[in-house]
Amino acid sequence: MNWAHKLLLIDRRIIFVVVFVGALIPIIWPIGLAVQISPPVKAVFDRVEAMKPGDAIMLSFDYGPSDGPELDPMANSILRHCAKKGIKVIGVSLFPLGGVEMAIARFMQLDTDLKARNGIDYVNLGYKDGAPAPMKAMGDRIESVFPCDANGVPYSEIPVLEGIRSYDDLELAISLATSIIGEWWINLVNAQFGIDVALGTTAVSAPKYYAFMEAKQAIGVLGGMKGGSEYEELVARAYPDLKGLSRSATMGMDVQSVVHLVIIFFILFGNVMFIVTKRMTRGAN
Amino acid sequence: MKRQVPIMLAITASFLPVIAFFFPNAWINEWFNRKLDEWMVIIASFAFLLGIVSMVQVNLHKVRRRQKGWIFSVIILVSFAIMASCGLFGAQGERENGTLYPFTWIFQFIYAPMQATMFSLLAFYVASASYRAFRVKNMEASLLLIGALIIMFGRIPFGALIHPVVPDLAEWIMRFPNAAAQRGIIIGAALGAASMSIRVMVGIERPYLGKS
Amino acid sequence: MSANSISSGVVCPGGRGSGGNTAGIVRACTMRLNLSLACAILAGALLLAGAVVSEVIAAPRDFRLDLAVQDRPSDDGSSLILSWSTDPAVLTLPTGVVLEDDPQIFIERKTEGAVDFLEAGRTTISAGRFQDIELDSRESYVYRIGLQPATGGMVYSEVSMAASPKGNLFRTQRVNALVAVLMMGGLVIAYIMAARRGAKLFIRRISGLDQIKEAVGRATEMGRKILFVPGIVSVSEPQTLAALGILGYVAKLTAQYGTQLEVPNADPLTMASAREIVKQSYMEAGAPEAFHEDMVRYITQDQFAYAGSVSGIMVRDKPAAIFLLGWFAAESLLLSETGQSIGAIQIAGTAQVTQLPFFVAACDYTMLGEELFAASAYLSKDPLILGSIKGQDAMKIAILAAIVIGVVMATVGADGFVNWFTAL
Repeated sequence: MNWAHKLLLIDRRIIFVVVFVGALIPIIWPIGLAVQISPPVKAVFDRVEAMKPGDAIMLSFDYGPSDGPELDPMANSILRHCAKKGIKVIGVSLFPLGGVEMAIARFMQLDTDLKARNGIDYVNLGYKDGAPAPMKAMGDRIESVFPCDANGVPYSEIPVLEGIRSYDDLELAISLATSIIGEWWINLVNAQFGIDVALGTTAVSAPKYYAFMEAKQAIGVLGGMKGGSEYEELVARAYPDLKGLSRSATMGMDVQSVVHLVIIFFILFGNVMFIVTKRMTRGAN
Repeated sequence: MKRQVPIMLAITASFLPVIAFFFPNAWINEWFNRKLDEWMVIIASFAFLLGIVSMVQVNLHKVRRRQKGWIFSVIILVSFAIMASCGLFGAQGERENGTLYPFTWIFQFIYAPMQATMFSLLAFYVASASYRAFRVKNMEASLLLIGALIIMFGRIPFGALIHPVVPDLAEWIMRFPNAAAQRGIIIGAALGAASMSIRVMVGIERPYLGKS
Repeated sequence: MSANSISSGVVCPGGRGSGGNTAGIVRACTMRLNLSLACAILAGALLLAGAVVSEVIAAPRDFRLDLAVQDRPSDDGSSLILSWSTDPAVLTLPTGVVLEDDPQIFIERKTEGAVDFLEAGRTTISAGRFQDIELDSRESYVYRIGLQPATGGMVYSEVSMAASPKGNLFRTQRVNALVAVLMMGGLVIAYIMAARRGAKLFIRRISGLDQIKEAVGRATEMGRKILFVPGIVSVSEPQTLAALGILGYVAKLTAQYGTQLEVPNADPLTMASAREIVKQSYMEAGAPEAFHEDMVRYITQDQFAYAGSVSGIMVRDKPAAIFLLGWFAAESLLLSETGQSIGAIQIAGTAQVTQLPFFVAACDYTMLGEELFAASAYLSKDPLILGSIKGQDAMKIAILAAIVIGVVMATVGADGFVNWFTAL
C-alpha cells in the first residue's frame, strides 16, 4: 500500500475531527456572511406580505427537537412577520415526538419578542395524533379535531378563532415539517382542499419539495438553515425595527458555510488521492 | 373464519374511504370518512400501548436474565417510568413563578439536546460518506461531482463570493434537473405504491395477517 | 354556477330581520317606513302573481352589497356559498357612517320563517365570499351582512334571496381522479387475469434482491446475526408493506439456514405485523421452535433514539448482513454509515428520494423507488402479483403518453388538456 492509498483510506475519525473544528471556529469567531435570497423563500415571504390584517394562517409544527436548530428560526421569523402584519396564526402540531413542545416554545418566544397575545393574536391548538386523519377532518371543521386549545380553552371561546372553521377560512397553511408529514400537507391538504401550502423543511428534505413547488402544489419552500436565514433577512429588511431580535439561522450559516468548505476540501482531496493512486498502480503495472 | 373475517374487514375498510372521496353524500361522508378517520386516530393511539408493552417486556426479560447490555435496559425502563409519570401526573409548560414543570424541564434540557446531538451527527457522516462516494471514476461520476460542488457552493454565501452566478446556477440545478429527476422517481414510486395498495386492498398481499 | 345557484338580484328594503324586493325599487326608496310599506305591498303582489321568490321579508338595509347565495357544488348538501360585491362603487353607506379600510363583517343567517338572524361567521369585506357549513338541506336560509361603524350602531346590508343547500351525488371536480383510479385498477386487474390465464410476464433483474440469499448465506457462514430494519413508519405506508414482504422471504431463509434474525421496530403496528410475518415464515420453513418473540421487538417511535439504539445493536453485535428497507428519513445515513463501519453487507431500498443518495453512498446494494414495490413479485414469482406490476408499468406508459401530449398541447396553446389534470 503506497502513501497515496493510505491517505485515500484515511480514518473517518480524522474527517470527524476536522469537521468538528470547522464547526467550532465560526461559533467562536463569527464571520457574518451576507445572505442571498432565493426565489422559493421569497415566494413564501411575498405571500404572507400580501395578506391583510385579520387574515389567518395555519402554522403546523411538525417537527421535534432534533430539527429545532433548522426549523425553529423559520418558526420565529414567520411568527414575527405575522405579528407585525396583524395576521392571525393558528398553531397546530401533528408530529408526536415533541411537536407541541416546539410550538409552546416558539409562541413563548413570540410573547417575549413582540408582546403577542395568546388567544387574540395567535392560538396554539396543541397536538393531535394520526396526522392524515386530523388533516382531512380540519378540511370540514377544525373544531372537530381541536375542540379546545393547548391550555384547555374551548374553541368557541377563543377570540382569534372567530370566523375560522375550516381551511376555507385560512389564507395559507405552512408546515414546518420533518418526516412524511410535509408530503401529506401537499398530497392531502393542498390536493383535496385547495388551500395554499408552504413548507419549511430540513436541508436534506428540501430537494424533494422542489418538484412539488414546480408543479404548483406548494407555493414555496424554506430549505434548512439557509431557508431560515433568508426569511430572517427578508423580515429584517421589511421591518427594520425587528433587526435587533435574535437571528439564529443567519448566525448558523457561518457554521454551515465552513463545514461545506471542509466537505468540499475532503471530496477534492479524496479525488486527488484517487487519481494519484490509480496512476501509481498503473505505473507499477 | 379466523382469516376470512380480518380479510373482509381489511378489504371493506380500504374501499370505504375511496367511495367517500368521490361521493359527497352526508351519510357516506360521516361513516366512510369522518368515523373511519376518528377510529384511525383512536387505533393509532392504542398502538402506542402495544409498543410500550413490547418494550417493557423485552427489556424486563433482558434484565431478569442479565443478558449482555442489561444495564442499558435498566436505564430505558427507569427513564420511561420517570418520563411517563411526569407526563401522566404532572402539568406541562411553565409555572406561575416562571419555573418549568418536570416534563417540560426534562424535554428542554435532556431530550432536546440529545436529539439535536443525534441529528448533528449527520454532518459528520455526510462528510465521511461524501469522501468515499464522490470519486471521478467515470464520466457520469464526474458530472455528479461537478453538480454537487456547484450546489454546495451555491447554498452558502461563499458561492456568491466566487462568482455571482454560482447561487443562481445552484438554484437552477435544484429547480430543473433535480426536480425532473425527483419527479421521475416520485411518479414511479407513487405508481408502485398504488399497485401495492391495490394488492393489499383486494387481498392479494396480506401483511397484516403475517402473509407476505 | 351550478343549476341550483340563486342570484340575489332581488333584495329587500324594510325592517331589520326580514326583507326582499328588487334592487331597483330599493334604490328608489329613501324613507325606511315607506320602504317597509312598499316592500310589503310589492311582496304581496309578487306572491299573488306566483312569482318565483321563495321569501319576501320586510327589512331595512343600510347599504347594498349585491348579495348572492348559491349551493356549494359537489358537496353533501350541508353548505351554501354567500358572495358579495367587493366593488367600492356598490357599497353605499348611509350618510355619516364611516368605516375603516376593509372592515370586518358579520355574516348573519336565519332560516326561512324564523324571526331573528343569528351570526354565522365573520370575515372581511374584501374576502368577497363566505362558505356557510353544517346546514340542513331541508331548510331554506337567508343572509345579511352586518358592519360595525366606528360610531353608532350596527348597519346591515340587504337580505339575500333564500336558498337551500342541495346534496350532490358525485364530486364532479374529481372526475379526473376517478378516471385515473379506474384506469389503474382496470390495467392491474387485466394483467392479473392475463397472468392467471398463463401469460408469460417478464420482470427485469433487480440486483439488490438477487443478493439477499448471498447476504443470508454469508451471515450463516460467519455465525453472525442478520439485522432487518423495516423503516420507521407504520403499516399504512406502502413502503413498509413492501419491506414486510421482503422480511417474509428473509425470515424463511434464516429459518432454513438456522441464522439469527433481529427485527427492531420504530412503529408498534409495524412490529405486530412483522412479528406475525416472521412467525409464519418460521412455521412454513418447518422451524417454529426457532422463533421467539424477542426477535421482533419495538424500540421507540423517536427516529433518532431509534437510530441510536439500532446503531448500538450494530456496533455491539456486529451483524454480518443488514437490510434497510422501507420508509426512512434523516436516520438513513446514521444507520447505513454505522453498518458500513462494521463491514456488514448492506442491502437497502426506499422510495424516499431524499434518502436514496445516502443509501447509494453507504450500502452495497440499493433498490430505487419502485424496485422496492416490485420485490414481492420478484421474489415470489406469484402470477397475481406479477400481473399487478405489469399493470403498474402500463399505467406508467399511459402517464408518459399524457405528459408528451400535454407538452405538445401546452406548446400550441391548447390548455384544455392540461387543465383537465389540474381541475381538482
